[in-house]
Amino acid sequence: MNRENPTVSVIIPTHNRSSSLLRALDALHSQTYPIDLMEVTVVADNCIDDTLAVLKDYKAPFKLHVIEVNCRSAAIARNTGAAAATGELLLFLDDDIEAMPLLVESHTRAHQERSGCAVMGPYPPKLQGGTRFFDVEVRSWWEEKFYQMGLPTHRFTYEDLLSGNLSLDADLFARLGGFDSAFGNCGGEDYELGMRLLNAGVSFVVAPDAVGYHYEHETNNLDRSFRRARQEGRSDVLIGQRHPELRPLLHIKDYETPYSLADKILTTIAFFWPAAVDLLAAGLRKSLDFLESLGMRTTWRWVRAKLRGYWYFRGVIDELKSRSAISSFMQGGPARTDLGENEIELDLQEGWEAAERIIDEKRPDGIYLRYGELPVGHITPKFGVEPLRGVHLRPILATLVSDTLLVAIAVNGMPKSAGVKEIKPLIVVENYELAVK
Amino acid sequence: MATAILDLEISKLPPEITVEERYSKALVLIRLHGKPIGQATLAVVGGRIDGSQLRETLMNATGENLWKNWLYDALEWDERGPVQAMPIATVAVCTRDRPEDLERCLEGFMRFPDDGQEYLVIDNCPATDATRELVKNYPKVRYVREDVPGSSAARNRALREAKGDIVAMTDDDAVPDPNWLRSLLRNFSDPRVMCVTGLIMPLELETEAQEWFERYSPHGRGFDRRVFDGAEWNPLIVAPVGVSASMALRKSAIDCIGSFDEALGAGTPTVGGEDCELFARILRSGYRIVYDPRALSWHRHRRTWEELRKTLQGYGIGVYAFWTRMFVVNREFSVPLLAWGWLRHKQLPELVASLRDRPNSVPSDLLLAQLRGCISGPMAYFASRKQLEEIKEEVISQ
Repeated sequence: MNRENPTVSVIIPTHNRSSSLLRALDALHSQTYPIDLMEVTVVADNCIDDTLAVLKDYKAPFKLHVIEVNCRSAAIARNTGAAAATGELLLFLDDDIEAMPLLVESHTRAHQERSGCAVMGPYPPKLQGGTRFFDVEVRSWWEEKFYQMGLPTHRFTYEDLLSGNLSLDADLFARLGGFDSAFGNCGGEDYELGMRLLNAGVSFVVAPDAVGYHYEHETNNLDRSFRRARQEGRSDVLIGQRHPELRPLLHIKDYETPYSLADKILTTIAFFWPAAVDLLAAGLRKSLDFLESLGMRTTWRWVRAKLRGYWYFRGVIDELKSRSAISSFMQGGPARTDLGENEIELDLQEGWEAAERIIDEKRPDGIYLRYGELPVGHITPKFGVEPLRGVHLRPILATLVSDTLLVAIAVNGMPKSAGVKEIKPLIVVENYELAVK
Repeated sequence: MATAILDLEISKLPPEITVEERYSKALVLIRLHGKPIGQATLAVVGGRIDGSQLRETLMNATGENLWKNWLYDALEWDERGPVQAMPIATVAVCTRDRPEDLERCLEGFMRFPDDGQEYLVIDNCPATDATRELVKNYPKVRYVREDVPGSSAARNRALREAKGDIVAMTDDDAVPDPNWLRSLLRNFSDPRVMCVTGLIMPLELETEAQEWFERYSPHGRGFDRRVFDGAEWNPLIVAPVGVSASMALRKSAIDCIGSFDEALGAGTPTVGGEDCELFARILRSGYRIVYDPRALSWHRHRRTWEELRKTLQGYGIGVYAFWTRMFVVNREFSVPLLAWGWLRHKQLPELVASLRDRPNSVPSDLLLAQLRGCISGPMAYFASRKQLEEIKEEVISQ
């Protein structure tokens, strides 16, 4: 593969959103990346609006291919686009994302710096000051997600693989078999791919400059988010079926053994007479608008979380059908999530840098922390999470095991490499008494 | 009896401290490696503070905060996330005919490390030329005159004049610590942070009025960094967030949530509340405000009892005017619940304790002044809006 300037295939699946698609295509005109190294493949999935007609007349400075499919599945649409793509890099972009000029170049540069990883660009919603409760929730979720993922100390999970602005080596994508087409229209195929990427030892990288702005607010609303919740329930079952070790992490467990009596009763009715609970849910959905007009945020959030949970659970029932099926689904996974094989023991008294080097070398899933001979804590292994890197250590030490670590330092003294270093304040305040005049 | 104010670094304590004989107590700001981590009140005997017990007293006063911060430093880890390029900032101070205070504040600015920041003095409806003359002594500071009265109008002017992406604001009666600006700016690496507020300590506690102010309504909000997230926090509860005497705003926030409400603030009939109102709007939009005690400044409280009473009354007016605006303009109908909660759980019990002469109770004239302010708050807001319209018409017709 040409590492300096790889050819890039941008793959945009779309479904009846021609104006949004046009904005996405227009934004690709002004990329800083050489335009002759780019091709754009639009996969029009079951489009009955003017999408195809618009694309026919569209004049683009890059090679533009249009593929028509009829599958109503983002997974299959992306796979079809990838199969037809000729570029060395595949860049999956959603049709409601407006790429900033550096987007393609930043993706390719991230691949140059570390080849063979999955590179994601942030696509925060366009900054708006809206105060509707739903807008606030959605916007803060996305912005928080990208901020956290962009932190150097972030430990990636399979749920960090977002396919809206994602690039991969075409070879790698083909080797892994692409997105799982069984996910159909319920989404979640990105998380599933994330799990396979992690299992294959592929690193996730965030390219901070590969920004696109997400116009999700144009199509998203409360009712759609509840439909999405139901789809999530279905896709979680599918993920759990493909990766049994993730089952204890999925939300399904909350419904197998509900905490409160009310939840227990509701989940039971939901199996035998879903229409009754649907009616209740519809009533609660109406109450959300009323609560918002009164400015009752806390209640709104509570009702919203309950409704979301309900529709998620309905999605789970759609896939698994019966209560016993849910139980056996959960029992098919491991009983605990904190079991792993690749664990090491680490002596922190050798110094933080030394400890970080060892972690970077061994990439363990879990660590038994010692300070000299004193035990300090245990970082338990987790499924669906990337192996530990050196940069993960200090936040854990500072927050999770700070008490035992302080005691250990008090007993054994400073670590070997530190100690000599004197910590200086930013600006030394010379006089200790503030002059009172 | 007056209280001396001390600023001590706990890793380098002096063997003995002497202060002027007239002090009977000392309020100590305790720092670890420059970061404020706690405060303590010590007894002063004959102008001396005994050094032998000093370390232990201060360590007890800081509690866990000392060890937590010591470990962060030892790990070279920072709760604020990775260091990023510092944004260019504008430091603005709004003033009105208080050249003495302003001079102390500007001297504080001159002790900041030079990171290319810009300085602005907004002179709000001045009666004299004293401020303009004073600013001439500081070539780095730009003087701007704003003729619409009110601290909100002055702050909005500062936001319009500022060249930086971040605008740090302080009051003329505050003196920022040399680390103040950098500490504020350091919290903006999270794109959802639209505003950062800081710790405020008393500059002097010479009179009884100042002591009471510090005891009853201190400007400081503790020694723990806190993040108020609009996606979770009730945006109408803004008292713990901070005060406008030490804050920095991301200018792009103003583009999407709007600027200060010019009917609120000092210099208008509502006397205050403009900072609360902006905090509430930031939080309503789902953004974040960070309170960081590293951003320290010193505030000169009002010296006389009369001024103190007026300040507290103004505080009552400001809060109720802010709530009125939230109720009327932003349609936040849960405001009466908050007002009831404040009355029921704080104002009434305090008043009862005071009238019964319970030890340590707040003097009743202060509490009554505040209640009077609360009652007149809603009307003050409408009066202020009307007055503002008239002033604006006048300005346009000129």
